[in-house]
Amino acid sequence: MSINEALEINGKLPSVADALSVGGQVTLIGLIIVFSVLIILMCVLVIMRVIFTKNDKKPEIVKAEPAAEETAVQEEDDEELIAVLTAAVAASLNTSTYNLRIKSFKRVGNNAPAWNKAGLNETINSRF
Amino acid sequence: MFQSLINFAQSTGIAALVDMFRSGNWIEAIGTPIMIVIACVLLYLAIVKKFEPLLLLPIAFGMLITNLPMFKGADAIVMHPEFFTDPEYLKPDGHLDMSLILGEGGLLDLLYLGVKLGIYPPLIFLGVGAMTDFGPLISNPKSILLGAAAQFGVFFTFVGALLLGTLIPGIDFGVKEAASIGIIGGADGPTAIYVTKTLASSLLPAIAIAAYSYMALIPVIQPPIMRLMTTKKERGIVMEQLRTVTKTEKIIFPIVVTIVVALIVPDALSLVGMLMLGNLAKESGAVDRIAKTAQNELMNIITIFLGLTVGATATAANFLSMNTLGIIALGLIAFCFSTAGGLLLGKIMCKLSGGKINPLIGAAGVSAVPMAARVAQVEGQKENPGNFLLMHAMGPNVAGVIGSAVAAGVFLSMFAG
Repeated sequence: MSINEALEINGKLPSVADALSVGGQVTLIGLIIVFSVLIILMCVLVIMRVIFTKNDKKPEIVKAEPAAEETAVQEEDDEELIAVLTAAVAASLNTSTYNLRIKSFKRVGNNAPAWNKAGLNETINSRF
Repeated sequence: MFQSLINFAQSTGIAALVDMFRSGNWIEAIGTPIMIVIACVLLYLAIVKKFEPLLLLPIAFGMLITNLPMFKGADAIVMHPEFFTDPEYLKPDGHLDMSLILGEGGLLDLLYLGVKLGIYPPLIFLGVGAMTDFGPLISNPKSILLGAAAQFGVFFTFVGALLLGTLIPGIDFGVKEAASIGIIGGADGPTAIYVTKTLASSLLPAIAIAAYSYMALIPVIQPPIMRLMTTKKERGIVMEQLRTVTKTEKIIFPIVVTIVVALIVPDALSLVGMLMLGNLAKESGAVDRIAKTAQNELMNIITIFLGLTVGATATAANFLSMNTLGIIALGLIAFCFSTAGGLLLGKIMCKLSGGKINPLIGAAGVSAVPMAARVAQVEGQKENPGNFLLMHAMGPNVAGVIGSAVAAGVFLSMFAG
């Protein structure tokens, strides 16, 4: 049975075979259309990404934990990060940034206590 | 004076109730109290259990109002569902008899025109668009496919409804009804209402109530399916941080989506177009006042009208039938299979990407923004406390809104008219 025939019946279909064949046809057509529209949109997004991120090569600034604070000399290119770290350390030690020199820093994984994590998660979840 | 007292007594609802029993119309006589009890149960679910209260409360109250016993033809009747479905009251060509509705309709009849003419759902989408951030989707284009896969349940349920129609006597589902029921699987209330009002308006209250109730139950429905279909290791996958999206991209996206959807599925345009207009208003930053109105005042006003009038179509004759039971069962199936469809593609993408994609975000492809994304976040975190999937899940989640609107457009183009 074709979709149009089923539409003309305008009520329940006569047999299981009809239901399966009409259902199968609609499912096939429907999924093809839904997927093709969204695949086209995906392509558009990929193209947009290529256009808009071409000149955007600078590395992302990821927030680091100032774990072991001072030991050796530091390269020049992380100036922004150093500034952030200096300010953070100064704030936590209640002193001025002029009294501090960040000599090195090391990224560490998130080893906050379980309770901190739980608290953070709860706060984030309560926003949604 | 005595006579006017009697007249007053005869105009009361109590007299109408007595009359209903005398007349021997048992569906109404027994069904009406049952409907009032159902309305009160829904009010309880909305107020105490907080099941989508913003919609369920007006829906349940509309149901209560419409089922209170009153004499046919009394001026006080606020809703005449028969004006919209009963062929006796429609014009010979099947269109609404506007002069009858405008002349004799009550408050809710007039408001219901907004549903029947397809005005409210797109306006709700305008507000949804103004609240949606497509950033996570733009930064991870692949996740849009998960929003398509999660429409699997829509079509699976379509087949299921057709089968149920042929197999079970008393259930009367043709293709139009099956399409309206299937779209519940899109987990998107306005879309379901938009399709149903066109294709099968007598099922509107049952479908709306099923869609909104199951959306509220997403945190209960989805996790078992997620755990069944994914391994512990997959659920613990931490995804790479999303790139930041430029403002230009966020502005271009809604415009492009509108054009693409209009070209391929014009029937989905009133939903998707309004969604994208709302989003453009928000992202452009140029029309802050419009964006704020769309997501707050306008949205709230429409929600009241929509809920109240959809509920008010739920009369005993309309609602107390095998069809409603079928819809409740099929709605659950729709949600489960949409979740499964999203998870399945999520798993495939996980394998193809070499384990970089957490399949849980596939389950968020059923719209239900942002609940479904939140469920993915909670489940991911249970396996790995340092796992933050929320933003990754928002991509498929908002893609699901577009996907279910497109599925709705497919159904409308096939079966409407």
